[in-house]
Amino acid sequence: VTVAELATQPTSSPSQISLVDLLDRLLGTGVVLAGDITISLAGVDLVQVRLRALITSVRADLDRTAGTPDGETSR
Amino acid sequence: MADTGSYLYAVTRRAVDADLSGSRGLRDEPLRVVQHAGLAAVVSTVGLEEFGEEGLAIHLEDLAWLEEVARAHDAVVSATAALGPTAPLRLATICLNDDAVRERLDLLHVPLKRALDRVEGRREWSVKAFAPLPMAAEVPLDSHLPAEGSLGAGAAYLMRRKAEQAQRERAGEVAANLADELHAALSAPAAASRRLTPQDPRLSGLVGTMILNGAYLVDEADGSAFVEEAQRLSMTHPDARLDIRGPWPPYSFVTLAEP
Repeated sequence: VTVAELATQPTSSPSQISLVDLLDRLLGTGVVLAGDITISLAGVDLVQVRLRALITSVRADLDRTAGTPDGETSR
Repeated sequence: MADTGSYLYAVTRRAVDADLSGSRGLRDEPLRVVQHAGLAAVVSTVGLEEFGEEGLAIHLEDLAWLEEVARAHDAVVSATAALGPTAPLRLATICLNDDAVRERLDLLHVPLKRALDRVEGRREWSVKAFAPLPMAAEVPLDSHLPAEGSLGAGAAYLMRRKAEQAQRERAGEVAANLADELHAALSAPAAASRRLTPQDPRLSGLVGTMILNGAYLVDEADGSAFVEEAQRLSMTHPDARLDIRGPWPPYSFVTLAEP
């Protein structure tokens, strides 16, 4: 799965979770255990940074594959 | 051992070593189960160069890395969830070693057991609703404009802005009421429900304004009835488009209070 597919293609089956839905859940919810080393994503600030980075990446990839059908070329 | 840690995927109730033998952890490391206080944490060893604080800070900015890790994490959570009630951990939860994992299980065993009770025999469904109507004022506002010359350009501009704002507020109110109604109807047959933040259309790739990003915890036996209810809502609300996904592990329903 490429970034272009993430943004342009629905998942093939309803039970297959899309990356966006997965990150929604893996970054925003789930059990929080304070680890000895780092709980990298417990802080809201960090999640926002990540999602901003994600948006930037998606846009860059879309720009790059613009004009090609469904991001097929990047596979 | 200073350069490795234990990456946690999920907590469940019983030892599942044998059942998980078909699955591998991140970087193809074998999975193992750390048991304590009637709980079992599914973990694998990760290198701290990659998964330590500094490594994570760099790698989390890398979408390809993030996707690979998220998919691997999800695969282990799903394999565990197929075997019994499972509390998935947040992405990149890493302890120094297995003793530290046991300490966490000890510290949190009461809320963890409560979370496992809550999700037992249940799966998560996602229903998103999209409003086709434009949220911004796109209807011509010419009728609100004063006749040319009757007012100064500044006053006309202000009136126009005010009318646009009122229209946006009305559209927003309609969408919010619709989202509330849909969420209430979907929550009724569910054991629990949550509203997640609506996704940015650039990320979801889905068209329209997402007015509802709902997560619903549904008894396994009621899955098809839940989908039918969502489809019925879709028919009775042609003004909203629904996207129904699932069933997934109960990611949205295991959040513990911060320890």
